[in-house]
Amino acid sequence: MTVFHFFNCAILTFGPHAVYYSATPLSEYDTIGTSVKAAAVYLGTALVKLVCLATFLNVSENDCFDPYQELLKVLINFIDVAGLYFALTQLTHRNISQTHKFQAVGLGWAFADSVLHRLVPLWVGARGLEFTWEYIYQGLEANANLVLNLSLAALGSLMWLRKNKPRTLIPIIYACAGVLTTMPSITSYLRRAMGWQTSKLVGFELFSSLMMAFISWQLFSACQRPA
Amino acid sequence: MAGRRRGGIGGGVEVLDSIYSVVALVFILVACVELGDAATAVDVYRLIQYDIAGVPYGSRVAGLNHHAGASPFAPGADLSRTVVMMPVRELNLTFLREYIISNQPLGGLLLLLPKKVSNRIVGEVKSKDDGLMRNILVELEQLLIQANIPYPVYFAFEDDMINAVLADVRKSDATGQPPMATTGGYKLVVSIPEPKRVSSPTITNIQGWLPGLKGDGDTNQLPTIAVVASYDTFGAAPALSVGSDSNGSGVVALLEIARLFSRLYSNPKTRGRYNLLFGLTSGGPYNYNGTLKWLRSFDQRLRESIDYAICLNSIGSWKNQLWIHVSKPPENAYIKQVHEGLSDVANELGVTIGIKHKKINISNPRVAWEHEQFSRLRITAVTLSELSAAPELLESTGGLHDTRDSLDEAAIYRTIRLVAESLARHIYGHQGRNIQIFADNSSLAVNPSYISAWLDLLSRTPRVAPFLSKTDPIISALKKELSDHTVEVHVQHETIDGMFSFYDSTRATLNIYQVASVAFDLLLLLALGAYLILLFSFLVLTTRGLDDLINLFRRPPSRKVKAA
Repeated sequence: MTVFHFFNCAILTFGPHAVYYSATPLSEYDTIGTSVKAAAVYLGTALVKLVCLATFLNVSENDCFDPYQELLKVLINFIDVAGLYFALTQLTHRNISQTHKFQAVGLGWAFADSVLHRLVPLWVGARGLEFTWEYIYQGLEANANLVLNLSLAALGSLMWLRKNKPRTLIPIIYACAGVLTTMPSITSYLRRAMGWQTSKLVGFELFSSLMMAFISWQLFSACQRPA
Repeated sequence: MAGRRRGGIGGGVEVLDSIYSVVALVFILVACVELGDAATAVDVYRLIQYDIAGVPYGSRVAGLNHHAGASPFAPGADLSRTVVMMPVRELNLTFLREYIISNQPLGGLLLLLPKKVSNRIVGEVKSKDDGLMRNILVELEQLLIQANIPYPVYFAFEDDMINAVLADVRKSDATGQPPMATTGGYKLVVSIPEPKRVSSPTITNIQGWLPGLKGDGDTNQLPTIAVVASYDTFGAAPALSVGSDSNGSGVVALLEIARLFSRLYSNPKTRGRYNLLFGLTSGGPYNYNGTLKWLRSFDQRLRESIDYAICLNSIGSWKNQLWIHVSKPPENAYIKQVHEGLSDVANELGVTIGIKHKKINISNPRVAWEHEQFSRLRITAVTLSELSAAPELLESTGGLHDTRDSLDEAAIYRTIRLVAESLARHIYGHQGRNIQIFADNSSLAVNPSYISAWLDLLSRTPRVAPFLSKTDPIISALKKELSDHTVEVHVQHETIDGMFSFYDSTRATLNIYQVASVAFDLLLLLALGAYLILLFSFLVLTTRGLDDLINLFRRPPSRKVKAA
């Protein structure tokens, strides 16, 4: 029964990635290689981020919200953007269209993130007899994270790969990318400084990620149109 | 890239092998991660499991893994997969008795003992509840000890966590949810191996001597007076059987008497012409089996030299009436002498001493009092006790109710005065004279802090003989204490009467998990499946269009057509 629960939570956490890959044209163009490379880049980025976090951040004993430390965290989160930039521009992808490239990179990125951050807690925690909502929430968070990463990758491809985009949209694109990058810090602020419940927080994450995805999609299709 | 790969096949195999072994190692490590993350872990104490002459008694199972339930239950409810949580405060003894006697199966039984009251002020008037509680505990204990219960029975102390769980269980039971509902319930788990029989349980007797002063012309052996107390206990929960009154009080009195006389005997001028023998015997609950073996180990001359023996048993909570239990008629000269010696002192202390005669039936294996073992070997002996009637087998042996709270230190103090004074008058030949040797504030006064210190130690040390090893700290402590006051301290190890056998696992950890039921996980799986299918359809619709989605479902038949 408890392995059953683990299975359920694993489906919720990792299922959407697989569904996304098989449902969209990504599977038809066989972009798995790109995703794997993006995941590898994510690993490297995560390592660099860990080193930075360990170097520049104090370990806070109490779980309070320190604005200065959080600002540092936001800055460190921008390393993610650098990683994405590397994955999108520097890696020699097979000749796939930009539309598919950013999806493959975002998918690989999000999947690597889920595996690194959620698989071990899931394995250790969800198999126990004790029932908590925690792992279901964690799965939902993984869903929101997938959407966020796809949006960020889409904006990244707009910023770095597309040359002829409408000039008026450029500041909006950069602002959205900034918001997406600071999203983890925003949720951390809500959790710790505002003391939001996990259920409320997960709802917010889902909602905000869907909103950002919608905006990114609109921007992407606006740039797609011939000027 | 493919060419490179092919070129490196030789080295690649080795790399792959090492990767596989690393992966296997990781999986083994991951599988070993212990799943001990329960919401609550509680110390629990198992009901004793023992056999008398092959007949099983007590709880026969130790492992527990069922949902929790609490009374009241609907009549005729099937509780064979439910752990019944029962606070002893509001125990429904008739319900329990009915269940045990009619042998109805339960998943398990968790009895919640009231919180330990450790900071009770000494000498405070005990409330009515205490007495009531005591009676309930005595009755409960006898019920559980004398039944053969085919499911696990555990005791735990009430605390905030357990009370919260109990309240929750009650609430969900009251709203009529079966334990398998979607909201789940509590699962109580004790993972413990099958209890094993304790192989050759030992009993340990400790003896010490205070040798008397031999006169110059005395060639005969000096007469001996023995003071004896049995120190081990027996109760429903062996890990909780501290037996403060039965017979911690006797042990404390014996140690204090040994201490007082060791001061007298250390000076040749005040050394009496009697040997004093102090014996801490084990096996008291089992017909004083240890006493029997101890006496058998004496040689004939020693046995004959014993003038009389005083056994101390349960002397910690009497008010003003103490009993002398004897096996010879009270008219017997030796008995009369002892009785008079004691009652003289008793009169001076303002208490009364009654005498009770109970004949020994040699054919009956039951030995109700420790002195009966002496009497069977024709040694004059009495038992001093607050109990007016002989207890049954495994009754009044220091069970659950017998804690420090039920003790009256003043009673122990009085008993020590009583025994010590009468012994001293006998030894120094002052019978009938009003001389107080151990008067208060003298250098030979009874020391109350010594008494309470030893009572504290004994009241937190469970002393069920089969579960005490030969080198148990409490045995070492008693031996050391006795050797501080007496000489020739000797420790005797024996095995318990083969009629009794015991099983281990006396304490365990109970994990309380809040669980969701299978139904919930099934529902969750259905919801997740629906979500993923919807997501799939949505993605196909938005990225490829409706036709592709329909084609996905049409493809298999079209292939068949092609093949044909």
